Amino acid sequence: MPMYQPSSRREVDSSQVLDLETAVKDGVLGGGGGGVITTAAFASDKLDLKIMIEELESMDVPTVFICPISLEPMHDPVTLCTGQTYERSNILKWFSLGHCTCPTTMQELWDDSVTPNKTLQQLIYSWFSQKYLAMKKRSEDVQGRVKEILENLKKIKGQARVQALKELRQVVQAHGSAKKTVVENGGIGLISSLLGPFTTHAVGSEVIGVLVSLNLDLNSKSDLLQPAKMSLIVDILNEGSIETKINCTRLIGMLMEGTDFASENIASLSLLVGLLRLVKDKKHPNGVLVGLSLLETICSHESVRSSFVNVGAVPQLVELIPGLTNECLELVLHVLELLSSTPEGRLALKDCPNTIPNIVKLLMKASENCTQLALSILWAICKFAPEECASLAVDAGVAAKLLLVIQSGCNPMLKQRSAELLKLCSLNYTTTIFISKCKLTRTIQ
Amino acid sequence: MGLLCSKNRHYTEADTEENTQAAEIERRIEQETKAEKHIQKLLLLGAGESGKSTIFKQIKLLFQTGFDEAELKSYVSVIDANIYQTIKILYDGSKEFAQNADSSKYILSSENKIIGEKLSEIGSKLDYPRLNRELAEEIGNLWKDSAIQETYARGNELQVPDCTNYFMENLQRLSDANYLPTKEDVLYARVRTTGVVEIQFSPVGENKKSGEVYRLFDVGGQRNERRKWIHLFEGVTAVIFCAAINEYDQTLFEDEQKNRMMETKELFDWVLKQPCFEKTSFMLFLNKFDIFEAKVLTVPLNVCEWFKDYQPVSTGKQEIEHTYEYIKKKFEELYFRSTAPDRVDRVFKVYRTTALDQKVVKKTFKLVDETLRRRNLFEAGLL
Repeated sequence: MPMYQPSSRREVDSSQVLDLETAVKDGVLGGGGGGVITTAAFASDKLDLKIMIEELESMDVPTVFICPISLEPMHDPVTLCTGQTYERSNILKWFSLGHCTCPTTMQELWDDSVTPNKTLQQLIYSWFSQKYLAMKKRSEDVQGRVKEILENLKKIKGQARVQALKELRQVVQAHGSAKKTVVENGGIGLISSLLGPFTTHAVGSEVIGVLVSLNLDLNSKSDLLQPAKMSLIVDILNEGSIETKINCTRLIGMLMEGTDFASENIASLSLLVGLLRLVKDKKHPNGVLVGLSLLETICSHESVRSSFVNVGAVPQLVELIPGLTNECLELVLHVLELLSSTPEGRLALKDCPNTIPNIVKLLMKASENCTQLALSILWAICKFAPEECASLAVDAGVAAKLLLVIQSGCNPMLKQRSAELLKLCSLNYTTTIFISKCKLTRTIQ
Repeated sequence: MGLLCSKNRHYTEADTEENTQAAEIERRIEQETKAEKHIQKLLLLGAGESGKSTIFKQIKLLFQTGFDEAELKSYVSVIDANIYQTIKILYDGSKEFAQNADSSKYILSSENKIIGEKLSEIGSKLDYPRLNRELAEEIGNLWKDSAIQETYARGNELQVPDCTNYFMENLQRLSDANYLPTKEDVLYARVRTTGVVEIQFSPVGENKKSGEVYRLFDVGGQRNERRKWIHLFEGVTAVIFCAAINEYDQTLFEDEQKNRMMETKELFDWVLKQPCFEKTSFMLFLNKFDIFEAKVLTVPLNVCEWFKDYQPVSTGKQEIEHTYEYIKKKFEELYFRSTAPDRVDRVFKVYRTTALDQKVVKKTFKLVDETLRRRNLFEAGLL
């Protein structure tokens, strides 16, 4: 029995908004009092549905607008005799595959005609237009607000300045369009200029909070890399809340990437000490990750490594190892490996009592990278001071681990390294003693 | 009343009175001890002539009532003394230089020689006459003599004070019969501090009184004064260590064999290692930047042993910045080398200062205040 009368009745006049308004007021479309749509929106059919759908990706589209087949909003909804509506192209494709059923109700179709659902099409268009225009307006508002704040910042001082910067930071973090506006209106230069020798912590930390959310071009980066400004950023890092510390660290990371800088100028001792403090703070794992990443970047420059060792980095990093996530472990090990390439680093590693036990534990534990780095470090230390370190390593159970590596599916380089290290460690022992020290039963277990 | 009361009652009343008095005293002591705890102790340390007393005067001008007329008047004799001492040093210096090679440029005109002898005589006494027009004119003429100017150019080899040029340029005004020193005159006036001086103040910020109370102590910087420092080291919130960065080519007043910058380096190291400063914040004021700026492009840093590995990289303003950063880095290295691992968490900040510039001192102190307040919040667990 036909449930649905194909309507050849009146076409829904495109200038009539009655249906949508009522529907919205009744909450059918979940739009919650969306307000009146300007007829102008309809008149200018220039608003392309496809574009709007794309830009409003993140919106929660009402389920009645979604095609059950593709789960996408419908451009050209058509209704079957069962009363179910689908996107025209999708349902036609369904038919072309030989089906004669309604995909959702599974009923056999007694009538294979598809009727365009003009009402629904109109509703979909209106809904998207409304949301789109609202978004555009909000964006303009945001842009206007950003411009206002930037103008203000040129004049105000003290607490007012701090407040304005706070607001700018919030706006930039919440709205992508705000970032563009800041950049286009000379915002980066303006707020960078607020960083000077007499900048208070309150102002400085807010400026950094804004800068870290923006895309900085090379000129801006060079400006910020000036020693006076860098000193300020480092001071703020050392004194700030955890959020500020993370922002400063990320900003410095941003400044370092893609610029050709003399690292000894950037990586001051205060920065290195500050970063060490940050990564030791286990209560804030985000800080640990960000801090370690920056340390890795900094240590990739040879000249910094010995200074870093001299501020006591090695024992502090070694102490850090137990309890880190895999991602952090790789970073820590990489830093230690870079430090082990210097004589001071090797000495510090050897002198720290927990180096060998902590690092041996990491073999074959976290990831292949970790194992490789751990091996590299152990190799460096054992080569440096074989008598001391070999026995310590063996006591820590390195032999069993090395055998595991050799037997595993790791890359051949690793296996070779392991074999060499094993040989190095076994040099001072006779075979029997060595095997007993190996505690091989553990491997078998 | 005593006559009519029984003996017993008399004693009880006296007792009670004593007790209340004692209780009152106890209460007062307790209150003041509590108040004392909120007072933050700041210590100005540094070698002689590093600018400690100038900073002290600036703080007085900024946060207290400044100098009243009597105080200003008291500086007249100081300024006179500065002038006589300085011109004597320059005159004696010119005679010394005249004895060596290339001596002709250190020889004065005959009139000026007579003036020089007379002033040298005055300057060697303990009591100085008040500066008058006549004397001022004579000193002025002597100052303008090319021999004296040549001597002044080599002032770093003598103990020529930094205020020389300022006072010599203002002789007319200073010799006026009704001369009352200006604030600036007072800031330039040089007296070797002996003993300890202190003031208590509350920094007035944007929100008026911020509630912090500071007690600032100024000390003598010369070697013989330093043994008095140790009595002040307990319970210090922050040490403001002044280092005059222009002095890398000068020697000490108390030991002409010792380079001033080397002395400062050793002194800073010693201060950092003091046991009572375990939790103390350190604010390093790299002072006399204005004089440094004028000097650094012509006198290479390497004349000082500590800076012997310095390499110039550019010219002009960029080079000045570069040298400043180099010196800052050297002090930073020294700090971390002299700081045991358990103390690494104490605050250490470096400031570029020109103690004579009130604006600079005000802004710098604002930052110091902010840092100390944040530190307090941090230690109270509120940050």
